[in-house]
Amino acid sequence: MSDLNDLSRRRFLGLAGQTGLATLAARAIGFNLGLVEILSAATPKITPFSFAIITDSHLFSIDNHKFDKSLADAVAQVNALSPAVDFVVYTGDIAQNGREDQLVKGKKILAGLKAPLKVIPGEHDWYLDMGKAWNGLFGKETWSFNHKGVHLVGLNSILVKDFWTGAGLTPVQRMGVMEMLESPIAGPWGVREAQLEFLQKDVAKLAPNTPVVIFTHSPLWDYYPRWNFQTQDAPQVREILSKFDHVVALHGHVHQTIFNKIGNLSSAGSLSTSWPWPYPPVKLEYPGSQMNQSDPANTKDGMGTQTISLGAEAGGTVQYEPFANSLTPWLKDGVKV
Amino acid sequence: MASNIKRLNRGSTRAYLALGAASLGLLGAASLWARPPFTEAQIADQQKDLLEVVNKGRDLWHGSNPEMSHNGLACGNCHPDAAASNPQTFPKWVPQLNAVAPMRDMINWCIVHPQDGKALDVNSSDMVALEAYAVYLYRGQKLEPGLTLPTPADPVKSGVGFPATPSGIGVDR
Repeated sequence: MSDLNDLSRRRFLGLAGQTGLATLAARAIGFNLGLVEILSAATPKITPFSFAIITDSHLFSIDNHKFDKSLADAVAQVNALSPAVDFVVYTGDIAQNGREDQLVKGKKILAGLKAPLKVIPGEHDWYLDMGKAWNGLFGKETWSFNHKGVHLVGLNSILVKDFWTGAGLTPVQRMGVMEMLESPIAGPWGVREAQLEFLQKDVAKLAPNTPVVIFTHSPLWDYYPRWNFQTQDAPQVREILSKFDHVVALHGHVHQTIFNKIGNLSSAGSLSTSWPWPYPPVKLEYPGSQMNQSDPANTKDGMGTQTISLGAEAGGTVQYEPFANSLTPWLKDGVKV
Repeated sequence: MASNIKRLNRGSTRAYLALGAASLGLLGAASLWARPPFTEAQIADQQKDLLEVVNKGRDLWHGSNPEMSHNGLACGNCHPDAAASNPQTFPKWVPQLNAVAPMRDMINWCIVHPQDGKALDVNSSDMVALEAYAVYLYRGQKLEPGLTLPTPADPVKSGVGFPATPSGIGVDR
C-alpha cells in the first residue's frame, strides 16, 4: 500500500467527523477509483485526476509575517478548486532559515488543506540541522506512490558536498551560506548516489508505458547553475527514467513559471508564495514560458499556486493559479507537460 | 602609507579640477595635459578601495544592516547577483515614486516597502556601497535610461558550473 493511500485513508477517516455527506461521497468515489486502478497496474491506464503544487513559502520566525498570509492564501486557493484536487505536493522551502519553529508554522498552515499532502525539502528547510527537524515533522524526504495509474516520485535534490566541516562553520553559518542564492561557497547540489539507487529500484518493474511524475526542489535540467537552478546528477536521473514513454518533472526553487523538454521528460517550474526570482540571463528554448514582469508594489504579483491535470493521454497540463495577473497569453490556457 | 596616498590622490584630483575650471578659458585645453598620470600602484590602490566598497555593498545587499529590514527580507531576496535592479537605466521615471528618480530613491523605496525597513540617508556610505555593488555587477553595460524590462547583471554563462576560484562578489570570470 502506498504512503499516499495510507495518508488518504487516515485523512478520509478524519474528515468523516468534519465534513458533510456530499463531500464524503465524492471523496469515497475518488479514492475507490484510485484503488481499482492500482490493482490493475499491470496495464497502466489513467483515470483522469488533478493535484496541486504549493511551494517556496520561506516562512520567517516573525509573527504575522506577510509570507504566513501568502501561504494561507495558497491553501485557501487550493481548497477552493473545483473539482477538488486529489492531493497536494509541496516542493520545498517551507522555512527561510531552516528553523524548527518556521517548519512547525508551515506545517500548521498547510494542515488547513482539505486534500492529503506530500512534501519534499528545499535547501532553506535543511541546512541548519541537516534535515533533522524536517524529517521529524514531514517524514522521509524520498518517496513514491501510485495513484490512478500514475507513478509519482519525490526526491531530495538539494544535497551539496560538505563545505562546512573543513571550514569549521557553525550550523547557523552553514545555513547562512545556503540561504544566499548566489553564494559561491556551497557549489552545485544534487540527489546523490543513495537516491539514484532508490529511483533505479523504484522504477525497475514498471512498464515503459507507465506515466511517471517526478518532484524535486530544483529543476532536472541545467537551467542556471550559478543560482543552483540545476540538479548536478539530473543526467543520471533522466537516464534512469529514459525507458518511459513520458515523464513529467515538476519543481520549485525557481519562483517563476518556466518550461523545458529534454527527450521524454517535460519539466515545469512553480510559482512561489513568497517572492518571484528574476529570470536569469539564459536564452530559453521556450521563451513564452516566462511570466510577466512582476510589479514590486503589488505584494501578490508573481506568486501563486499551480494545478496539474493528468488525463488518459500521456502527460498533462500545468495550470498556473497566480494571486495577481502574472500570466502571459502563452501561459493562460495551461502548459502541456 | 596607503591612506596618505589616498588623501594625496584625492587632494590632487580636487586641485586639478579647480585648476582646470579656472584656467580652461585662459590657458586652453593644453594645460590639462600637464596633469601627471596616476602611477599603477596608485590606481591599484584606488581600485582596491572601490572593491572594498563593492564588497560592503554586497553584504548590505544580503542583509548586514538590520535597520534596512524589519521582516527579514534583503535586496538579494528578489535581486540575486543584483539581477533586475537595472542600475544602467537610472535616473528614470519610477512608477512607485511617480517621478524621475535616481537609483538611490528606488533602493530606499524597496527598503521601506518590501523590506519594511528604515530608509537610508541618500548620502550615507551604506547607500554609496549599495549603488557601487549594483553598478559594479552591471559594469560594461550600455547606459539606457528609462529601460523598463528587467535586465541581468554581468552575464554568467549557463551550464558551466561554478568558478574554480570564486571572486565572492558575484562575478564568475
